[in-house]
Amino acid sequence: MPSLYRLRRAALCAAVSGATIAVVSTASAEEIIIGAATAQTGVLAPYDQPALAGLRMALDELNAKGGLGGKYTVKLMIKDTRSDTAQTATVAQELIDAGAKIMITPCDADPSISAGQLTQPLGIPTLTLCGSAPVLTGAVGDVMFGTYPADNVQATAVADFAVSEGKKKVFLLTSPDTTYTANLPEYFGKVFEKKGGAVVGRGTFTMGQPDFSAEITNIKGLADKPDLIMTAAYEPDFPAFIQQLRGAGVTIPVYGADAIGTPTIKALGKLVDGVVYTAAGYAEPGSKLEAFNAAFTKYAGHAPESTYEVNGYEIGLILDQAVKTAGTDDPKAVRDAIANLKDFEGITGKITYAGTNRMPLRPVALMRYDGGEGKHVETLIPDAADVPAP
Amino acid sequence: MVAQQIINAVSLGGVYALLALGLAIVFSIVGLINFAHGELMTLSGYALLASLVLGLPFPVAVLVAVTCGALAAVAMERIAFRPMRGASVTSLLLTSFAVSSLLKVVFQNGISARPQAVAMPGWMTGAFSFGDFTIGVGPSISIVVSALALIALEVFLRRSVTGTAMRAAAEDFDVVRLMGIPASRIIATAFLLSGLLAGLAAMLWVAQRASVDPLMGFTPVLKAFIAAVVGGLGSLPGAVAGGFLLGIIEVLLQATLPATIAPYRDAIVLSGVIAVLLLRPQGLIPAVRVQRS
Repeated sequence: MPSLYRLRRAALCAAVSGATIAVVSTASAEEIIIGAATAQTGVLAPYDQPALAGLRMALDELNAKGGLGGKYTVKLMIKDTRSDTAQTATVAQELIDAGAKIMITPCDADPSISAGQLTQPLGIPTLTLCGSAPVLTGAVGDVMFGTYPADNVQATAVADFAVSEGKKKVFLLTSPDTTYTANLPEYFGKVFEKKGGAVVGRGTFTMGQPDFSAEITNIKGLADKPDLIMTAAYEPDFPAFIQQLRGAGVTIPVYGADAIGTPTIKALGKLVDGVVYTAAGYAEPGSKLEAFNAAFTKYAGHAPESTYEVNGYEIGLILDQAVKTAGTDDPKAVRDAIANLKDFEGITGKITYAGTNRMPLRPVALMRYDGGEGKHVETLIPDAADVPAP
Repeated sequence: MVAQQIINAVSLGGVYALLALGLAIVFSIVGLINFAHGELMTLSGYALLASLVLGLPFPVAVLVAVTCGALAAVAMERIAFRPMRGASVTSLLLTSFAVSSLLKVVFQNGISARPQAVAMPGWMTGAFSFGDFTIGVGPSISIVVSALALIALEVFLRRSVTGTAMRAAAEDFDVVRLMGIPASRIIATAFLLSGLLAGLAAMLWVAQRASVDPLMGFTPVLKAFIAAVVGGLGSLPGAVAGGFLLGIIEVLLQATLPATIAPYRDAIVLSGVIAVLLLRPQGLIPAVRVQRS
């Protein structure tokens, strides 16, 4: 028995040392580790997962062509944040310890900031999948980049559209629970007032709140009747709100932003008829986005659920361009290259970081639900002078 | 306006009462706060969705969903809680948390992390007018269903042998067993009733929210727990009173607080709960045999 034991141990040692050699060889200079601290479970999962799927597709394609900048094979390490801010910091630290040179963070400001506080001192470029709060990049520092159209840009686009439709009086429904739900409607209000509209009332909700009846009764009781309700509520609050609003016999149109451009909201059918929302792009026939959608369907086995997939894909392209420009995988050089990106041809249009506070300038598509389908209204880049300060 | 808000409050209070009652029934018999009660609701919600997707007519789908909730509760008892019978209150509590977490992950990974829209029939988003105020069909159904369920439960507990045995078990389980009534039957019935209540509450909850998601059970079970504690843990009339009180306070605050203070609503509600418990540590209507979890 002892001899057999020794034999086994020898075999084990050989296996372990073999594994070590293998690890060393894969961690060669030509490999770059991208850490993705993203939500696979919890409330952010419906946003992070599609975005991550797009990023994976881009990285797979790039790896087939030699990797980022044609020479750094990407190893994507993914860890679940469970949609929890503290957990995001924990897994971000694990990814940094594993050697991540680029960090990808969830679709929300708070967890992205918690991860950014760890990457900032190390100079590791950090990109949020689709976090769109314009305060996000300033709260962290020069390594933090947004990728999706910022909340104030989206809100300006929706406000411009509402004004062009002749809307005069808006009711703002916010929730202090996240930066997105708290600020986006207020940005809308600022632009709307500047362009001659009036904010006739404000209401709040708690995320996950079961009952909107009291708030809806307040809306019905307003002396100055609004002709529009603007909110950044998303799932599951948005369906609850609109179900109860329409159930109470209120027919005032409701507008929102990108977070309600999802299959769940679309599946509400007639209930959401007339709801206007935003997207990062619209797949017109013959457009690059249409080609992407077809390629993604082939890659993933299902069509993209939203524009988060293409946004994730574009993150891959941005990183590729940045590494190409920098000519190295040094995090600081890559960061500088991203920050100086100008008129980069993405899939949805031109993306520019140069001259911004690292929230990109890019087009916003306005969409409207009609009979269970999202119909394109228009695509615009709001006038920078109109966009309210974060 | 005032009449409208009263209807809102009663409607929400009714749902909370159903939920709290589901927790209280199990607690009164086995001394367990079942934190997986919310997942029974989630399960019923998915059962409703599946039935509708399969093309079942709406009333049949509701029936299937509520039955699923009840059966799942019995299965939960059989699989998770029966092996723990006689264990300490802490072990039972931890078991219920474990069941809850497990089910959430199963829902997220097995179905989808994304909320699924449930298309409620068009008439449920309708409203009818009485003079100068309108009542939504949804809230009216909530009120009627809650009232009927509370009455039916009361009749069952007062008039049937099992019901009487359950009331007796809540006072002194050992004596009931000495009378020759099988403990397993009493406990299984308690879980069955709590599952039925969870299923009903889930239907009202989903009707108001138009979607089901893996985490939807968290808020209701929390509200139910608060309502049950305020009412008096283990006391069935207390759970109902606690549920209505919680619903009324929430709607009242939402209706009257100015927008700047409204975000503190939950903090104010919970402060109120502490105040009630300071004045009446055993709850509004204490249980006959007071237990602490």
